[in-house]
Amino acid sequence: MTGANLTSAILEFDEESEIAEEYLRRGWTDGLPITPPTPDRVLACLAAAGRSPSEIVGTEPTKGRVITAEKIAVNAVMAGCLPEYFPVIVTAVEAMCEPEFNLHAITASTMGAAVLTVVSGPIAKEIGINSGVSVFGPGHRANATIGRAIRLIIINATGSSSGEIDKATLGHPGKFSWCMAEADDVNPWEPMHATRGFDAGDSTVSIFAALSGTQVANHHAQAPEEILVSFRDAMFSVGPTQNELVAVLCPEHIGNIKAAGWSKAQVRQFLFETSQRSDADWRAAGEVVPPNTDGSSRMVPVASELDNITILVAGGAAGAFSSIIPLWGAGAGSQSVTKRVQG
Amino acid sequence: MVIATKLGVLDPTVQPIPAHAVVAERPTTLDGKVVGLLANGKLNSEKLLTAISEVLADSYSFKTVVERNKGNASRPCPAPIIEEMAKECDVIITASGD
Repeated sequence: MTGANLTSAILEFDEESEIAEEYLRRGWTDGLPITPPTPDRVLACLAAAGRSPSEIVGTEPTKGRVITAEKIAVNAVMAGCLPEYFPVIVTAVEAMCEPEFNLHAITASTMGAAVLTVVSGPIAKEIGINSGVSVFGPGHRANATIGRAIRLIIINATGSSSGEIDKATLGHPGKFSWCMAEADDVNPWEPMHATRGFDAGDSTVSIFAALSGTQVANHHAQAPEEILVSFRDAMFSVGPTQNELVAVLCPEHIGNIKAAGWSKAQVRQFLFETSQRSDADWRAAGEVVPPNTDGSSRMVPVASELDNITILVAGGAAGAFSSIIPLWGAGAGSQSVTKRVQG
Repeated sequence: MVIATKLGVLDPTVQPIPAHAVVAERPTTLDGKVVGLLANGKLNSEKLLTAISEVLADSYSFKTVVERNKGNASRPCPAPIIEEMAKECDVIITASGD
């Protein structure tokens, strides 16, 4: 293949070993070596999703940078993706370019959010996205390279590189790569995309401006109420009046909750109702929460509304470890976006 | 004879589109001017703007002061606020006050 339809500038090298070094030197990577984005590899990616190189997938809303399928494919190859991952990455970029996600802010802010990509529906299994053991960890190519491709696109296509536009105080390791699937084989409820109004048989990609998660450990309890108080305590660390946050429930916790016959709605209701503190208690915890205008006390919830808690099911079969994941700007400055994978 | 073949790889970057903005004409004095104070929603932004306007008021006699708060520091200012202030104010001062 000649790459005749590709329009990106071509850099030429004598030795393959020079390529990764030069891309690192130019600030085009996340600090790790890359797979050289040759025209053949890029065209194979595009073909897997039936996209033409010049197709505009999205425009970054703040800076107005136009992101074509070709640029997404170049970054996907660099990240080590297989061509069959490409439809998921394209869908994630479409989602990231929606104004309500506020991509510029979440990738520039000192708060240091990652993009957590959640793939739900049949495509997750078809391309091998892990939803089980060590779901946030290494060892699974689809998870590792799809998440990495999204970060490289943020760096190269939107210009948000560390120390330039990206001014995160700490950031967190999820900024290298953070992609997961929901565990359909364990989930006793409808998948998360069905909760969001999609057909259960659809494949979707959801993106969240995710901060580092808090691990929720509870090995002793079996009753849902006794398990979920541990989630409640983790939620308190997130702060009051969140417009959105994510709870990832592991199979052991789910097993006990399922055995008690609880629905997803009941779990959400319990978390919403129990994670409330008085304004005085929030202030004692360092938050700015005034009392009522007449000076009387009021109860203030972690999630400002019931529907603001997104529940996901994932993780390894052994271990009672779940997670509460707060979102950037208390979930108010950036809304998660879910899109159906085309084709 | 060995012919060296170059390895070609693609540039992954998208270049910024240069903006063609024009800077508004600056007044030579603030005397008799309508001064807008646009806070960005951060906790101390209104305090900072008040302090700035008090310092300026020592040197100038404003016609009036228009105070607005765009509410969310990480979102662009809502268009109605921009339109209102552009119409009413001769000068607008903004501050983050993080």
